[in-house]
Amino acid sequence: MDFQTIVSPSSGTGSGVFPTLVFVQGNDQRIINLDHSPFGVGRKVDKDLVIADPRVSRDHALIVSENGVFSVIDQGSKHGTFVNGVRVERKTLERNDRLEFGVREVAYVIFNPQHGTTNSAREFLSQISGMHISDETTDLEKLVLFLEAARKLNTIGVLDEILMTLLDVTLKLTRAERAYVFMKNDQGELRLAAGRNSKGEPLLDDKTISHSILDDALKSNSEFVLTDTSRSVDLTGRKSIVAYDLRTVICVPLRKPQVQATRGAEVPVPALAAEAMGALYVDSRFASRDISGVSNDILHAIATEAASLIENARLVQAEEASRRYQQELSIAASIQQRLMAVTIPEVPFAKLQGRNLSCKEIGGDFFDAVNTEQGLTIVLADVSGKGVSAALLASTLQGMIYSQLTAGMPLTDIVTAVNRFFTHKHIGEKYATVIIARIRDNGDVEYVNCGHILPLVVSNGEVQRPAHGNLPVGLLPDAKYESDHCQLKPGDRFILVTDGVTEAENARGDFFEDSRLELAAKAGTLDQIFTAISDFCGGTPLNDDCTVVDLMYTG
Amino acid sequence: MSLKIDTRQANGVTIVACSGRIVFGEEATMLRDNLKRILGSTRQIVLNLSDVSYIDSGGLGTLVGVYSSARAAGADIKLAGLGQRLRDVLQITKLVTVFEVYDSEQEAIATFHRGAA
Repeated sequence: MDFQTIVSPSSGTGSGVFPTLVFVQGNDQRIINLDHSPFGVGRKVDKDLVIADPRVSRDHALIVSENGVFSVIDQGSKHGTFVNGVRVERKTLERNDRLEFGVREVAYVIFNPQHGTTNSAREFLSQISGMHISDETTDLEKLVLFLEAARKLNTIGVLDEILMTLLDVTLKLTRAERAYVFMKNDQGELRLAAGRNSKGEPLLDDKTISHSILDDALKSNSEFVLTDTSRSVDLTGRKSIVAYDLRTVICVPLRKPQVQATRGAEVPVPALAAEAMGALYVDSRFASRDISGVSNDILHAIATEAASLIENARLVQAEEASRRYQQELSIAASIQQRLMAVTIPEVPFAKLQGRNLSCKEIGGDFFDAVNTEQGLTIVLADVSGKGVSAALLASTLQGMIYSQLTAGMPLTDIVTAVNRFFTHKHIGEKYATVIIARIRDNGDVEYVNCGHILPLVVSNGEVQRPAHGNLPVGLLPDAKYESDHCQLKPGDRFILVTDGVTEAENARGDFFEDSRLELAAKAGTLDQIFTAISDFCGGTPLNDDCTVVDLMYTG
Repeated sequence: MSLKIDTRQANGVTIVACSGRIVFGEEATMLRDNLKRILGSTRQIVLNLSDVSYIDSGGLGTLVGVYSSARAAGADIKLAGLGQRLRDVLQITKLVTVFEVYDSEQEAIATFHRGAA
């Protein structure tokens, strides 16, 4: 039997799904996607639906769609087109309408479009499973139909609905009294995920089921376990079976579908080795609901298909979660970009430029410039690590330093306070390298370097790297900080970089290094430094943010 | 994973030899977890870094973090066999003033015994 693709949830019909036609001819039946209009029906082989019967005209009828409304139009057929037993020329179609084309009874079509936007996945699934299908269709075929449909449903958040529908279908097929799905949590413990009884009521309590059979089924290597208590002699340890008079229990471990490497003509290994991710449990108490006769084929189908169904739904959920996370990240990244966007103060004695080249991941670099009575102060910091936590810490750090700078605090006091704050808060292994430099109109630069890459002082075409330094902030609570001074002449430059610059890598895994940085700084401007970095890296993406701040004393 | 960690005993001192890169992420996490586990049973550790080609800011943070908690618990971690790049990093960050750094593993082990004698 040929089951065709049923659903495309992303189709543009507005209903979320294409309407379907169920074509029944004798014992044969097909589900056809009504995914285009007009849809031709007739005896000619080029028709969308070909009915090979002499009573069907060659061009018998068309099914057309106008603004989401479907109609059948007879094409002057000899034996007529019928909707629900009435001969029509043209008729708007309603859900479950029965269409006949010339030939009556032997072949017919059920029109079953999906209406409205309230169509939940569950509704859809139950429509599929409860669809009017000829009585000749076996239970197994119905199940396969349902599973096929469900697997194609990649709608977000349908896991619960899939579980519920799975239970309903299982109850219907096995005629059992109660059905439950258990899923393993992260700790590997089985937790009730969904439960239903044959009346369609939810079951929220799993106390009255046989947990020993559930455990056995999970530990065993079998595809499913069927326990008929009327034939079982030894019920020791099966407390629930005795207490609740359970007559038949079926337990199907759900195993993650495994991709098997096929090796030559070897018999494929059944996917039993995989650890169960959960179990489907079905039981009955009454003799009248004897389920021990349930076909093994049905249990086999449930066992192999249900797990992949659930796994798919889970993957979809995980994807959605990661999409949301990505969204959060991009918000964080844009916040960081705004923090990096510094309005550079204009001062008569110096020219300041700063630029940041972001890597894909959010980093913890920041740059700031504040003009106060004491002079023009620049701040460059790099919080260890990457990601949102680094960016958060960077913005906290930036705020603290900014407020203390505007309050006119001495540079060493600022970094001491920041260090105390960070170590006091026990931020863990996160710390920051910071350099704060303040230039006065006489060319005197006071700076405090806390574990940061040494600044470059470019004077008369020569590069100096003043070696003064302190511990980074946030590592040790009792760290002491000292500042140093250097004197700039007009035209001299004081250049600060983050380690993303010196550790920029090329394809061979070499670093840009201090030597190349010094050459580039000596040769030219900020732009030329960045050109040198990108020339060196070639196409190799940056691992870390690159920030360069170039301060020139103009006198 | 670009970090490999080997642990062995020498004269009552635990030698933790690292090779590869100590960087933010699973490498730094692995180093921290290993050292924390070792600190459960020993007070004297020599971290041999002679085969470490690179340590980034995150890896350095991990190193200091583990070092601080070891000191707080009365244990000691000494560093040995640092390459030029690692020396530079410790110099720039002034962490040379925090860690005890030795040229070779043997020298580091010997200082533990001198202290005990």
